[in-house]
Amino acid sequence: MIMKTDDHGGPTAARTIPVRVLRQDAPGQESYWERHDVPWEPNMNVISVLQKVAAIARSQDGRPVAPVAWDCNCLEEVCGSCTMLINGRTRMACSALVDRLLEEHPDGIELRPMSKFPVVRDLVVDRRRLFHSLQRVKAWVPVDDSFDHGPGPRISPEEQEEAYPLAECMSCGCCLEACPQFTRIETPKREGETDEQLAARRTAAFDQGFIGAHAVSQAVLFNKHPTGKMIADERMAALTGPGGIQMCGNAQNCVAVCPKHIPLTRSIARAGRSATLWALKKLFDR
Amino acid sequence: MTLPSFVSRHQFLIYRLFSLSGLIPVGAFLVVHLLTNASVLGGAASFQSRVDMIHSLGPLLIPVEFAFIFLPMLFHAAVGFAIIAGGLPNVGSYPYMGNVRYTLQRATGMIAFAFILWHIIQLHWLGAPLGGGRFDPHHATSSAATVIAPLGVSLLYAIGVLSAVFHLSNGLWTIGITWGLWTSPAAMQRANVISIIVGVVLAAAGLGAIGGLRSTDVAAARQVETRMEDFKRMMEGQAPDAAAGGHGAAGSTATVPAADAIDLRGPSEPSALVIPTPTTSSSPPGN
Repeated sequence: MIMKTDDHGGPTAARTIPVRVLRQDAPGQESYWERHDVPWEPNMNVISVLQKVAAIARSQDGRPVAPVAWDCNCLEEVCGSCTMLINGRTRMACSALVDRLLEEHPDGIELRPMSKFPVVRDLVVDRRRLFHSLQRVKAWVPVDDSFDHGPGPRISPEEQEEAYPLAECMSCGCCLEACPQFTRIETPKREGETDEQLAARRTAAFDQGFIGAHAVSQAVLFNKHPTGKMIADERMAALTGPGGIQMCGNAQNCVAVCPKHIPLTRSIARAGRSATLWALKKLFDR
Repeated sequence: MTLPSFVSRHQFLIYRLFSLSGLIPVGAFLVVHLLTNASVLGGAASFQSRVDMIHSLGPLLIPVEFAFIFLPMLFHAAVGFAIIAGGLPNVGSYPYMGNVRYTLQRATGMIAFAFILWHIIQLHWLGAPLGGGRFDPHHATSSAATVIAPLGVSLLYAIGVLSAVFHLSNGLWTIGITWGLWTSPAAMQRANVISIIVGVVLAAAGLGAIGGLRSTDVAAARQVETRMEDFKRMMEGQAPDAAAGGHGAAGSTATVPAADAIDLRGPSEPSALVIPTPTTSSSPPGN
């Protein structure tokens, strides 16, 4: 634990935690480290550390600084918005408890934005690509009208037990951040480019990139669903398209860092099996 | 159509062919190659007879080598290097076993590629213009043992062989995931045990061959090989050529175990042809 000594050499009651934050003022700008001393309190998490940083609004050397920007919402590891690199590892800021972090790293806490997505500001990143991947594999049940279709097909308790863990995915992006095969795609706005042109260029770049473990797992989830499987072939086409499941390098970091313990590698292997069968079907059944 | 758009349209197929080529034919070749080499532990004659069997393909050996070994290996290497270039290893931040293996798979792939290139130049006739090509299929054990004799060369061979073996056995495990053979964590664990066993056996075969070559008495092996070649020529109805004959006639002929050479005899060959061969089985000196 960090103990601060007072001017007389004795320990003071107030402990402070040194916090290092990798800041960036705007997209495309240089990033820089900033140090903060945060008074320790019981039961802190990284979100409350950032709230203290904002309240103090001064860096370690006493300079007034703008508060560090970060994303968060639910504060109970369900929404997936507060992902960041805490002591070098991707995790949720809300469920990263300060006392546990100090046990691992008594020297303090280091906060960095996710490295696989473009930085918007400080710890806020643009995770559009994550959701674009879900669009690519059509990670939904295709019922999009207001007609009464009656009750849906029955799903057995066994199927529900298989599906539920996959449905826990909160799109936090930890699996993508830890994946050595998922590399950053950034499309900075060009001189004289309209927003529409930029969006088209970005979409084209995303379409070539690896879809990632989360999208593979969601494709598996919806291809098992009795109504969702009606567009299973469209999902298989996306899974075997450019940047599809073949990009997986079997490092299995995704399953190791997933905060919801989703069996991502099982989903990947199952999608691999479906892709094998689908490719054979495409080859011989047409 | 540009190359990038062709590659991106057929990425799935290319990556699956890459995965398959690692097992068949490249991986299968490595297994055969290492087990063949390990036969040197049974003596120069045992290795020579297996080499002779491979070379009995005659002129067909060249297209077979290119179609089933060199070209698939080049394809596997080319796609492999592209995959390595597209990845971003992060084992420092995420030191999990799977990630260590991911990184090692890439490192051993590159080491094995460099080693195989060197190995081919050094031993295969393709390397002759570069001053290599030192493997003599008629003197398999003695020529290989001479090349590998320096300790540094042996150590580099050990590193190269172990890299190739790790790459294949770890690849065996990942191929099963890629194609969807084993999907649950428990099944992956069972497959992992099998991959480790395959790896240990192949590593033992590979290192055994290096050890076997290092402990070979080159002169004695050469005598055995010369005897075998003389015998083969005799079977083909040719007289031993002057050099080989002179070597064989230098009083050592009768001391070489010819029983090994008889391995060469096809089952349909009349045994009468064997009669001129001395069948004494006293060992050559130093054997």
